[in-house]
Amino acid sequence: MGFDLSSVVAALPDVGAASLTNAWMAVIICVAALALGIGFTVVRSLKYRVVNGVMSVFISFVRGTPILIQIFLCYYVLPLVGLDLDPTTAGILAIALNSSVFITENFRGALAALDDGPIEAATALALTPAMIWMLVILPQLLRRTLPMLVSEGTVILKNTALLSVITVAEGFRVAQQIGGATFRPFEPLIAVAICFLVLNLILVGVGVMVERRGALRAA
Amino acid sequence: MRLDPGVITDSWPLFVEGTLVTIQLSVLSFLLGLALAVPVAALSMSRHGVFRGSAMVYLAILRGIPFIALVFIVHYGTAASGARTPAFWSGVIALTLFASAYYSEVIRSTISALPPGQWDSGRVVGMSRLQTLRYIIVPQSLGSMIPPGVNVTIMMIKESSVISAITVGELTYQGLVVQGNTFAPFEVFITIALIYWGITLGVSRLGDRVERRIGRLQKSGRPTGGIAARYLTLTASKPVQ
Repeated sequence: MGFDLSSVVAALPDVGAASLTNAWMAVIICVAALALGIGFTVVRSLKYRVVNGVMSVFISFVRGTPILIQIFLCYYVLPLVGLDLDPTTAGILAIALNSSVFITENFRGALAALDDGPIEAATALALTPAMIWMLVILPQLLRRTLPMLVSEGTVILKNTALLSVITVAEGFRVAQQIGGATFRPFEPLIAVAICFLVLNLILVGVGVMVERRGALRAA
Repeated sequence: MRLDPGVITDSWPLFVEGTLVTIQLSVLSFLLGLALAVPVAALSMSRHGVFRGSAMVYLAILRGIPFIALVFIVHYGTAASGARTPAFWSGVIALTLFASAYYSEVIRSTISALPPGQWDSGRVVGMSRLQTLRYIIVPQSLGSMIPPGVNVTIMMIKESSVISAITVGELTYQGLVVQGNTFAPFEVFITIALIYWGITLGVSRLGDRVERRIGRLQKSGRPTGGIAARYLTLTASKPVQ
């Protein structure tokens, strides 16, 4: 059984349409993960001993266990505590929490490299802590961590393919279904790989554009 | 919600077996991935555009498609080409390819982070490019390769859970088997999560020790003034002035 290019082409429309599900899930997750990541970072900077202790255990757990297991935990275990989520919501929650942890850890490193001066100046001008975060720290932080945020975006996009294992009808699952129906499992996989490559290229391209604009404004 | 420890005590041999297979997968792919990463890194730093281009395509594909797709492509791809690869080896091949892409990026970025004067100084004393690499560049960059290398290793160990999808009896697969038999998702998934957590924590400790051995534990961070430290540090242990 050789490789059949026409089967790849035949699978592309359906797989491509289903991959748009991955795209919109990834967009939602990116926004949620960034918001959560910023939130975690601000909370950690308040330095409540107990809160930070709990956070550091949570962060270590998320960084030390596979995202697949975290997806299973959100999908199979949350219903036991009364939180019955449909597969898509559970998956979005799992990936967003996972990425937010990687984002806040990256912010931690970037914060240590920020300059004291602007914050001291803002404090001298009696800006409130909320204003200092919004006007002084976050603009610098986001600009500096943009390359990392873009690569986290590609990780998020790739992780959405894992939601096929909890029955979300996204690109990878549709490719497997086409493979099962046509008895040619290999070619639809090439089609879905192409879709992910294209989506990732778009994501990286947008990142480069934003980076250029940010650099222009900073100059 | 009630915890039933019986689920774990009854099926512990499965968890042990799964853990061993996960470790086998990880160790094999670590060694093979690192071995493959060296030529890929060499290509990506080559002076010839064709070599650099082919390395770029290799990296873009391996890092651009989801690992679960890579696993199935390798598994079905080797089957379609006539060779009947056991699922375990499909998993090893996929994980090796995946690891090689990320390890080669670690090698490339740490080497190119060295000041270019290091290469020039090698030439000045009459060394070839290879000699410069061997005696000047590698000894200096080895230490700084460890922390990102450990991160890639941990990422690779975690990704190995995806290989359960092609029925390799590693930890996640055994967990799913036990979950199917007992319908006790909480006990099962927490147990395998704790085992993975233990493995990755162990690897990261090991990485710290190797790094100390090589003798270059650079700690980043500089003294921050009291006011700015309120925003720029996230550890609660330090007293706030």
